[in-house]
Amino acid sequence: MANLTTDWLGLQLKNPLVLAASPVSKDIEFTAAAVEAGAAAVIMHSLFEEQLIHEQMGAHYFIDTRLDLDAEARSLMPESDLFPVDGEHYIYMLKKIKQRVRVPVIASLNGATPGGWTSYAAKLQEAGADALELNLYDVITSKDISSALVEERQIAIIESVVKQLQIPVTVKLSPFYSSLPGFVAKVEKTGAAGIAVFNRFFQPDISPDELNVDRTLHLSSSQELPLRLHALALLSTQTNLSLACTGGIHSGMDAAKAVLAGAHALQVASAVLQRGPQAVRDILHELDLWLDKMNYAHVADARGVLNLHSAPDPHAWERLNYAKMLAGWQLRKVF
Amino acid sequence: MRRADTRTLDANEAVADVAYRLSEVIAIYPITPASPMGEHADAWAADERPNVWGAFPQVIEMQSEGGAAGAVHGSLQAGALTTTFTASQGLLLMLPNLHKIAGELTPFCMHVAARTIATHALSIFGDHSDVMAARNTGMALLCSNNAQEAHDFAAIGHSVTLRSRIPVLHFFDGFRTSHEISKIVVLADEDLRQLIKEESITAFRSRALNPEQPTIRGSAQNPDVFFQSREAVEPFYAAFPKLLKEVFSEFAQLTGREYKLFDYIGVPDAMDVIVQMGSGAECTQETVEYLNAQDRKVGLIKVRLFRPFSLVDFLSVLPPNVKRLTILDRTKEAGSSGEPLFQEIASALVMALSAGKIANMPKLFSGRYGLGSKEFTPAMVKAIFENMTSPQAKLRFTVGIHDDISHSSLNYDPNFTIEHKGLTQCLFYGLGSDGTVSANKSSIKIIGEETSLFAQGHFEYDSKKSGSTTVSHLRFGPKPIHATYRITKADFIAIHDAEFFEKRDVLSAVKPGCTVLVNTASPPDTFFSSLPSPDRKKLIENNCRLFIINANAVAEQAGLGRRISTVMQVCFFRLAGVLPFEEAMEHIKNFILKTWGKRGSEVVRRNLAALHGALEALQEIPLPKEVGTERLRRTSIAANAPAFIQNVTQLLLEGRGDDLPVSAFPVDGSWPTGTSKFEKRALAPEIPVWQSDLCVQCNYCAMICPHAAIQTKVFDKTELAGAPENFLNVPVSFEDSLADKLFTVQIAPEDCTGCGLCIEVCPARDRKAPKRKALVAEPLALHREKQARHWEFFTHIQSANLASLPIDRRTAVLREPLFEFSGACAGCGETPYIRLLTQLFGDHLLIANATGCSSIYGGNLPTTPYTVNREGHGPAWANSLFEDNAEFGLGMRIALETREKSARWLLQQMADRLPQALLAKLNDSGNGHEWAALRRTALKELRDILLKDTSPQSQELLKQIDALAPKTVWLIGGDGWAYDIGYGGLDHVLASQKNINILVLDTEVYSNTGGQASKATPLGASAKFATAGKSSRKKDLGLLAMSYGHVYVAQVALQSHSKQTVQAFLEAASYPGPSLIIAHSPCIAHGYDLVKSPGQQKKAVASGMWPLYRFNPQNIDKGESALVLDSNAPAIDVAEYMENEARFKMVQLRSPERYNILLEAARDAIKQRRSLYEQLAQIHLPPERHHG
Repeated sequence: MANLTTDWLGLQLKNPLVLAASPVSKDIEFTAAAVEAGAAAVIMHSLFEEQLIHEQMGAHYFIDTRLDLDAEARSLMPESDLFPVDGEHYIYMLKKIKQRVRVPVIASLNGATPGGWTSYAAKLQEAGADALELNLYDVITSKDISSALVEERQIAIIESVVKQLQIPVTVKLSPFYSSLPGFVAKVEKTGAAGIAVFNRFFQPDISPDELNVDRTLHLSSSQELPLRLHALALLSTQTNLSLACTGGIHSGMDAAKAVLAGAHALQVASAVLQRGPQAVRDILHELDLWLDKMNYAHVADARGVLNLHSAPDPHAWERLNYAKMLAGWQLRKVF
Repeated sequence: MRRADTRTLDANEAVADVAYRLSEVIAIYPITPASPMGEHADAWAADERPNVWGAFPQVIEMQSEGGAAGAVHGSLQAGALTTTFTASQGLLLMLPNLHKIAGELTPFCMHVAARTIATHALSIFGDHSDVMAARNTGMALLCSNNAQEAHDFAAIGHSVTLRSRIPVLHFFDGFRTSHEISKIVVLADEDLRQLIKEESITAFRSRALNPEQPTIRGSAQNPDVFFQSREAVEPFYAAFPKLLKEVFSEFAQLTGREYKLFDYIGVPDAMDVIVQMGSGAECTQETVEYLNAQDRKVGLIKVRLFRPFSLVDFLSVLPPNVKRLTILDRTKEAGSSGEPLFQEIASALVMALSAGKIANMPKLFSGRYGLGSKEFTPAMVKAIFENMTSPQAKLRFTVGIHDDISHSSLNYDPNFTIEHKGLTQCLFYGLGSDGTVSANKSSIKIIGEETSLFAQGHFEYDSKKSGSTTVSHLRFGPKPIHATYRITKADFIAIHDAEFFEKRDVLSAVKPGCTVLVNTASPPDTFFSSLPSPDRKKLIENNCRLFIINANAVAEQAGLGRRISTVMQVCFFRLAGVLPFEEAMEHIKNFILKTWGKRGSEVVRRNLAALHGALEALQEIPLPKEVGTERLRRTSIAANAPAFIQNVTQLLLEGRGDDLPVSAFPVDGSWPTGTSKFEKRALAPEIPVWQSDLCVQCNYCAMICPHAAIQTKVFDKTELAGAPENFLNVPVSFEDSLADKLFTVQIAPEDCTGCGLCIEVCPARDRKAPKRKALVAEPLALHREKQARHWEFFTHIQSANLASLPIDRRTAVLREPLFEFSGACAGCGETPYIRLLTQLFGDHLLIANATGCSSIYGGNLPTTPYTVNREGHGPAWANSLFEDNAEFGLGMRIALETREKSARWLLQQMADRLPQALLAKLNDSGNGHEWAALRRTALKELRDILLKDTSPQSQELLKQIDALAPKTVWLIGGDGWAYDIGYGGLDHVLASQKNINILVLDTEVYSNTGGQASKATPLGASAKFATAGKSSRKKDLGLLAMSYGHVYVAQVALQSHSKQTVQAFLEAASYPGPSLIIAHSPCIAHGYDLVKSPGQQKKAVASGMWPLYRFNPQNIDKGESALVLDSNAPAIDVAEYMENEARFKMVQLRSPERYNILLEAARDAIKQRRSLYEQLAQIHLPPERHHG
């Protein structure tokens, strides 16, 4: 049995498998079962900036402002002390999960404006989060916003959060940067402790019959892994940040690939949502078997073995290979 | 005396605060205007506030006031300090228990916000008719006149009842006192503890039922002993006045506030004196003091303790020189020799004279005033004093109205007012939805609690649930404020919607130098000239300062939507000068932080943004010297409206109903139908505009519209003659047999509330620009005039004959609705059911309507929505009470049956003289418009025959022929009625096997009184009296009804499953026995945007929270199962449904653990219910062999 212990973000994990931010953590017992099955850390579902604002204004509208509407109904809802809709419920869940499991619990913040972010981050640290994952996900829909501006804004957010916190901060990125290594270098300068590639970006579908946009979120599959492997292979040679692979890990072999590309932590969510806590046990078991088979005594020995520097054919990760692959595919098609 | 702690609150809260702290058990039932007392108590109990002895009172909501009184009685018998709150009909339901409680000498103090008892009409407003109906119960009747007194008397009542054993009914005027906010000194727990004698509690407890020392109470007594036994209580009544004086005296020592059984105000040598109780005495006091200052020898006796009446104490305050006494009653006892207070005083004086305690009898006058919260002003008081000395004095009179029938009313000078030095008076016209009243309440609190000024706030509301108007009257000054009447000379007038200028005389109270603030989107340079000229004239003549602000834009920019309250509040403090402005700003900021900080930082940020935005946007409009072109207010009533509408309704709409004389009104409360169409409210900022090129003619829009403001019609091409320009229509495409006809969708632009439901459900989309549906929201201003013309034309189009088509969800709504433009909330989930009902059976429909939302939007003046078709037929509607609607409707059914039976007997007698075909038509039972039309034709034929037949039978049948006219009886009411207060009656009516149809509009909460839990409230929902989330399951009313075996039952959801709804309505109507339809009714009390109600209702059905079914006992005879499930097994988790509504979400925000427990319980309940229904749907019963 290989040694699976992993240092990620300065946290000592018993293995590299981490529950990714997902609805799993909304169910404390389900989360506990996944930890029981072997998950080495829990990243909570994201606290969405927009959702907080939406819920606050909703509570304000439906409870506070529907008063004195007519002579008979002074109000429509009972008066009672409620939790403020200011992340308090998230903090409550964080505390509950912390109480329930004995592994690091990482809070996750998702937002796009510098405003309320930093104050929430401090609250989460205070509530006992072992680390914080910032999910930088901007949907830019206007031609007037340049990519430089977006990156500048994101770096500013990371800086302000990192500065405030003592706990490590990891940043979950989307795949769409003109220069991913360049942006990561900037992230590293902010004092952040890690990077996670990639968030499952928002990709609404279209319902042709209803002439509408379908916002159903689909779960990931192993097909999404290569994009991550590529990023890890590039980054692991150029940054000292902890690297996490998120999206597409569904089996021990997927896990092995991510480690070989350079990942410290392997985040899983869809597999657990689909197959339950057993998925964690299966992935770990398969990873372990593979490490043994390959004679890796420690998981760290396999890490980055196939990255941009170490791969037998580093060009495989580069642009030229892309051209070849395409050409080859076309040739086969023609003949 | 301890240091005074002052608070600014209304009497309901002031009373509840004391009653809660001095009680152990509180049993209540909601009723306006007393509901807030119970709600406060419930909220305190939920937050575990202790009483003065450190115990936690238990608050229980009962199924009716009768139930509350029973629980109170039991609680008292078992030795708990108990209280209750009620008003009006609620008090009437308590009367039997009050007799018992008093007869058993049980210490108990209850609190009544005195409200009119329904007679020719219901009124939620204040007078003493309810309290006076309780005067023979043996309860002591203690009256307070303002919030401070109400607070004090609550404590005094609880104290004296324990000492005297006589139960106390403490009352104060509904709305005028119960809802008026003022600054009061709050009694400390220590004060309260001192007032209650420990030994009196011990004595009370020692008398409790107790098996350790058993006794029995409530025995049945025979003629030999009842009388003597009853007289044994007399010494306790005799002792009561003395004990009350003792408590008054202790109270004065504790607080410095002195009260007597009768308080005299005025010069000692007064010759003319008014005797009065209630808030009106405040106004009389002011006027007496004013007249005394002018050397008028007048006075006032305030009656504090009406019963037991203390003659000695009354005589002690009667001025020695009194020559004339006017006794004022705030109630009417038709046919009496005088109203109750008059009778009491008159008989007391006669006794005093007989006993030689007085030498001469003063001349007595009896006056009625203030019924149903009618204004009572200093001018009226002056007239009452003048009447006493007038040669044409009226011994019995009314005041405050113009009685041109019985000529009872006193004339008074409406211009007479009393000046109040240092008093600032402010008037605000707002919309119910814009937060004006709430903001004013917070302004009063700021001024009352942060300064040494006295403050008073009184609020008037109309009864519309959408687009209602509120008028706030705020007074601030250095002296206590006794003005219990509207402001007629204002220093500041705020008009929160410039549209008010077109609706009513908003400047009627303007005084020289008055500051006028208007919320308007008009540009500053054209605003003044856009006003009606009489308003311009008033502004100039009074040297007003005029300010405007586009508050909607400021609020919108700050992210607060249409909520302009913060913006207008800032402007008020900026302009009214009640407080130094910087100080006021600090207070508002603190208020925002304190009140909304608990919601979250974004809420605070947006409100602060509104505050700053307001200051920047406020601007003064310099007044020109010239008034400019003459222009009168745009009247909302069409010139061709019936005389009654022009002469009566018009005035009500303008807020001038007070000016109408007695002769203007029907004598028995009957009111014409079809009046809502004359009130063009134009509430919607945006209305749906039909895109005829996209429409798929599904009719969903017309089906869901809560206000019948969007309608569809199929008609012949010839109908288009004279159509206005661009009147859109398309060939019918949904039905081949109508292919030569035209179809149109028409919006009533001035009746639409802009709820958006029609657009939400519209399934048609532009293939090239999918944003464009077949209905598109566009600004009313762009379409109002054109669409109003189109609507007018539309109403005159004759619908094609649809009789040959089966009635389904599509064809049902093509029929003419006879329920239109009600005052229900925008997006109301109840009204579409009623509209549908009138579309199916409206022209031969009798409706018995339980009190509640549906009786308010169905029957509250000024305008009402039930209307008639072009033949003049339409629903005949009546509301009896809340609790008796099932019985009321059954009575209608029985009457119709009896009358019909008698007519049919006569018909039978004449059978050989009548054509067989005609008899067949007359004997054909059925329902629906086509059947009704055939029956009417047959009756016309019969009438023609009878007119020619001079036989006695024929002549008799002619008299009774109306009994053969088509009629169907439907009972309508909410869940509060059907599940709770009226359930006993409903159950009895279901058991009756009569052909009666019952529509329960189930909002799962008492909507009308503000969201109290009913037995229909679902498990997991938070509601008043179930703050922490209801832990018991929703009562399965349908299942209970099914258990009879002869009742048709359906559970429906129109907003998402209208096909099944129409099917159920038709089946219920044709079912020969009782039928019950339970209708899922989305309501604003559920806490989400009702435009989402179709989707949310779909989730209710899909999650199993609201299963759809039809249970038809007739299936059994066909060998089928009676129960047909119309919805599938739950396909989504109920959490998906619950998380979208604030009523469930609040539970989670209060306690996530409890939410999870309740969620699990809800899941279990759904599974079990589904399983039960599935099994029932499989059951095949042997048919019944003997029916009847």
